[in-house]
Amino acid sequence: MNRSWDSLETFENFLDSGGIVEPVDEMPTEYRQAVFDFIEMHANSELMGGLTERDWIPRAPGLRHKMSVIAKTQDEIGHAHLLYMVAADLQIKTRQEMMRDLFAGKSKFHNVFHYRAKTWGDQVAIAFLVDAAALVSQQAVFKNCSYGPYKRILKRIIAEEGFHLRFGEESVLRIAEGTQIQRSMFQSSINDWWWPALQLFGPDSKPNDLLLRWHIKSERNEVLRDRWIQKFVPLLQGYGFTIPDPDLRWNKEENRWEIGPIDWEPLKRTLAMGGPDSARRISEASESWEKSSWVREALEKVAT
Amino acid sequence: MNDSVLTPPVKEYLLAFADDEHLMGQQHTEWIGVAPFLEEDMAFASIGQDELGHALMLYTLILECPSGIDTYVFNRKSEEWRSCQLVESTHRRWEEALIRHWCYDMAEDLRWELFSDSSLPELISISERALKEETYHRRHAEALVENLLMVPDSKLRLMNALEVVVPQVLGLFSPIPGEEEAISCGVVSGKYSDLLPIWRTRLEERFGVLDSGLFIQADNENRTQRHSDFDYLFGRIREVFLLDPKAVW
Repeated sequence: MNRSWDSLETFENFLDSGGIVEPVDEMPTEYRQAVFDFIEMHANSELMGGLTERDWIPRAPGLRHKMSVIAKTQDEIGHAHLLYMVAADLQIKTRQEMMRDLFAGKSKFHNVFHYRAKTWGDQVAIAFLVDAAALVSQQAVFKNCSYGPYKRILKRIIAEEGFHLRFGEESVLRIAEGTQIQRSMFQSSINDWWWPALQLFGPDSKPNDLLLRWHIKSERNEVLRDRWIQKFVPLLQGYGFTIPDPDLRWNKEENRWEIGPIDWEPLKRTLAMGGPDSARRISEASESWEKSSWVREALEKVAT
Repeated sequence: MNDSVLTPPVKEYLLAFADDEHLMGQQHTEWIGVAPFLEEDMAFASIGQDELGHALMLYTLILECPSGIDTYVFNRKSEEWRSCQLVESTHRRWEEALIRHWCYDMAEDLRWELFSDSSLPELISISERALKEETYHRRHAEALVENLLMVPDSKLRLMNALEVVVPQVLGLFSPIPGEEEAISCGVVSGKYSDLLPIWRTRLEERFGVLDSGLFIQADNENRTQRHSDFDYLFGRIREVFLLDPKAVW
């Protein structure tokens, strides 16, 4: 195929008419870089999500729960694996280079994985609130994504994330109908994870957002964030939990929930690797990566 | 029919297998996310899930009350477990986890095959399913070990790991309480310990002849004595449960 475009304008016209870009195409450098950055961050986030959740696998309260959370973490790491391959095909960094940058704290991953899952309640809150936020974003990207390999991988990721969400929903239901200890554990998880999950969508999209213009994203951050809020406020309140937002109010005229002002400082800190658990998360991942380097080196020798 | 065959000694015999599978699966979960590359994270996740699934099927058969399995597991006293020390010990190096995976799975298919003609039809179907999965487990362990033995540095690491793991494997093959009753009523076709020579042949075909000192068996009194790491392991298994034993998660 190897298509090329004589100007950014003709390329953008191609995208606007629903065109799908493939890795063999001679795409504009800026587009290649933007798609790469987006997929690399998604891959890093899947991996760091898996690492956040792994801490609770051995402690899952029951055999079936354990099997479910293993499967979930296996999916997240599997998504990272696929996404790193798609990103590597863009020939900006190899998979090894991406992993090295991640473990050196040089590349980004979602804010929520800069926090630690401190309890089983947190594990459930991640499956319920965070996975849902990620799914809302991924569905929006999938709907109109102009980069072919990413769109195809997202189809599978979205299907699997749906199962994770169900695990979260079923667990929350049991906790909501459970004992006082369970309910207060989960209330404190909501207190800790509500704002980070909401900040996952990012600040309002800028008018000239290139990701929107190039059909990598299809909806504005604030629209996605609001969709998530409208779903989760009534759900959590229905289960008898409190949302940690003193300014939260029901707007009768518009028939919708309105939240208080969002403090973006915590998000900014995670972007600078200064989140509550950033240092531990990165240093532990980096340490286990270093410790096992002998395996990679040996297998590389055998391959050559 | 099951009631007449599933006597307390036979249940105790099957419990040993269920406990081994459970704790082997549990140990694999500790290596998800810290493996040398993503494919290995996924492999340990998948193998761990399979072993836990085998444990679940065996517990279900023995306890005949699937909903009560977790309560049974969480509330058991440590002396009531029938696991072997190989699956109870905490390994801190990835090469030890790999060697344990190789050693355990090279012994597991031999164990399942003992149930191929069981007088308990459920055991025949569980073993058929498990044997299919075990083919992949062995293939995974073999491929990695075969390659890592080709490079001097990684070979040395694997050989050192064998010194830690092999003596523990002997406990896996030690006599199992209830075994004689299980054989006499046709639940299982023979003694697991009789298969130790086959396992040792597999081991030495892969790694070469090993120091005979590794094959001196420590006495764990037929799986009634726990490894010193057991309390830590059991503590993790029931950490959430102990927060509120009445809770349903």
